[in-house]
Amino acid sequence: MRVSFWSAAVAGAFASLFALSAAADSIRIGLISEITGPNAEAGSYTLNGARLAVDAINKKGGILGKQIELVIEDNQSTNPGTVLAFSKLGGNTDIPAIIGPIRSTQIQAASPTIQKAGIPVMIGGTDPSLTHVNNPWVFRCRPNDTFSSRVIADFGVSKLKLKKWAIVHSTDAFGSGGQKALTDALKTLGIEPVLIQGYTNNSQDFTPVVLAIKKSGADVIGTYMTNSQDLGIFAKQLRQLGVTATWVGSPSIVTDTAMKLAGDALHGTYGIADFNPDANAEAKTFATAYRAKYNLEPDVYSSWAYDALNVVATAMNTAKSSKPDDVRKAILGLKNWKGVEGNYTFDENGDGLRGYNIVKNDGGKVRFVEHIDITK
Amino acid sequence: MDALANNLQVLFQGLALGSIYALVALGFVLIIRATNVVNFAQGDFAMLGAYMMVAFLVGVGFSYWLSFVLALLGMGVFGLIFNYGVYYPLRHRGFLPVIISTLGASIFLQNTVLAIFGAQPKRLDNVIAGGIQIGSVFLDSQYLVILAVTMVMVAFQFFFFEHTMLGKKLQATSQDKDMARLLGIPVALMIAITFVYSSALGGLAGVLVGPVLFVSIGMGSIIALKAFAATIIGGFGDVKGAIVGGLFIGVIESFAAFYISVPYKDAYAFLMLFLVLVFRPQGFFGERVSEKA
Repeated sequence: MRVSFWSAAVAGAFASLFALSAAADSIRIGLISEITGPNAEAGSYTLNGARLAVDAINKKGGILGKQIELVIEDNQSTNPGTVLAFSKLGGNTDIPAIIGPIRSTQIQAASPTIQKAGIPVMIGGTDPSLTHVNNPWVFRCRPNDTFSSRVIADFGVSKLKLKKWAIVHSTDAFGSGGQKALTDALKTLGIEPVLIQGYTNNSQDFTPVVLAIKKSGADVIGTYMTNSQDLGIFAKQLRQLGVTATWVGSPSIVTDTAMKLAGDALHGTYGIADFNPDANAEAKTFATAYRAKYNLEPDVYSSWAYDALNVVATAMNTAKSSKPDDVRKAILGLKNWKGVEGNYTFDENGDGLRGYNIVKNDGGKVRFVEHIDITK
Repeated sequence: MDALANNLQVLFQGLALGSIYALVALGFVLIIRATNVVNFAQGDFAMLGAYMMVAFLVGVGFSYWLSFVLALLGMGVFGLIFNYGVYYPLRHRGFLPVIISTLGASIFLQNTVLAIFGAQPKRLDNVIAGGIQIGSVFLDSQYLVILAVTMVMVAFQFFFFEHTMLGKKLQATSQDKDMARLLGIPVALMIAITFVYSSALGGLAGVLVGPVLFVSIGMGSIIALKAFAATIIGGFGDVKGAIVGGLFIGVIESFAAFYISVPYKDAYAFLMLFLVLVFRPQGFFGERVSEKA
């Protein structure tokens, strides 16, 4: 392991030397992600996905005949780190587009900086408000939480016929946004949740949350949890304290890490996933390539970055330009563009996707149940 | 009956997590007493210990107990390296350079572990699988182990410091280095031993809590914050205080989360810290110090 670290460092040093001489022949795309800090594991998957996309695009001729070069900036899993990274890359005139972070709270913090930079930024955060703050440069390559919550509510209420809902959510921007959206979605189906329970990230103990669920008598739990460790601890304690309610979770419940950590405590739970390797032909191709290259199971952290880079490349190649305005128009002009997470049609807010896959944790294996698209 | 069961469950969780805070706080206190310095890498000792356990148990495939002993020994050796690398070169430079040195060590440790083990959190299984079900109260076996080990460590600590010559020498060193030196106690060695012991103690906390909180780069920082609050609440530099302070914080935050609000759980520890500082600045067991030599 140590060897790969050093060889990566040396390779990195050479690569940057090489980049100086090769700058004219390449197109530089920024990538801001959590390379260090508490979310570094997710960041490493995002990097995997992005690199896989770069390889694939470059093999097909790159963007406008130039090879893509990723300019990676670490946000240290923090909001200030994200703002700093955006002002650094955004001030760089030879970077025509940036793949931003997946955390809503970080994007929220960096939104003014993104607006100032004035170049297309692809984001993975699912807090609905991120694309509704009159920032024309933010494009979301995942379905936002109004869709995730409507899919969770629709599946739980219409398919599973469960009516007594407890909502458990992280109190960060992602979790609170999801909670509000799920509460609203349930309301339109005529249901008032019996419990809405928040918690802060990196909680060491979920006993009070579990006891509150027990007391509420809920028969279904909808969750918006950010960290896999939290999810793992919650899952274990939920089953230990004898709660048997059905669980339909936001995408973090079916990430590789969460499933490894929680083990059988997550068996039988449902999750929604923007990405599932069996959902469509593009996803199948992506998954095969990902497994071959990294010997890991692909998940949402890698798939969204893969799509984001492909959207940028497609838009630039369609526009035959890397000027921000042209690229923006080209992204908004994409109709039913087939990505691994589904078919992208960007609306005027910059939201590309409107659907989710429902999946089930079947004894530790993620089984594709169905794809639900929300069409107003 | 249900309310009683809930209260017992909450108390149990609070005591167990409090024990972990106590173990880490103990490491804080021992180093504070020996060197007058707060070791900000104390939480990372727990993290490192847990990763050593993962490396031996899952990576190499040794048995649980062999891995356990090797992890603690490894942490002891690491404490020695830490002493000579982080503390010793700066020992005559006042407390601030040393504190900054420990902060630097903390950042270095987290990123070294990240480079070696990768970012994905690791799973450790309970020492004994399962737990005990009493009515609707569930006692996780790992939490029981944590409680038991903490009690044993507290007893050991008491015996060691009060009833062995080495313990007494360590105490003398922490009370007055010059006097200890005059009495022929090798002060530098005593401090090195303190680091070895604190490091192993931190490692033990990490190994114990690994199955509960999972093993991740950030696990140490989360525990260390609470442990540090425990150190101050208990009385800065007081061994009893560290243990009582740790348990106190664990139980208070557990009950406050249950009865008042879960999202503010982390705030209770610091609210307690604030209250103690206002009404009893020396902490539960601390002595009022009017001047510091």
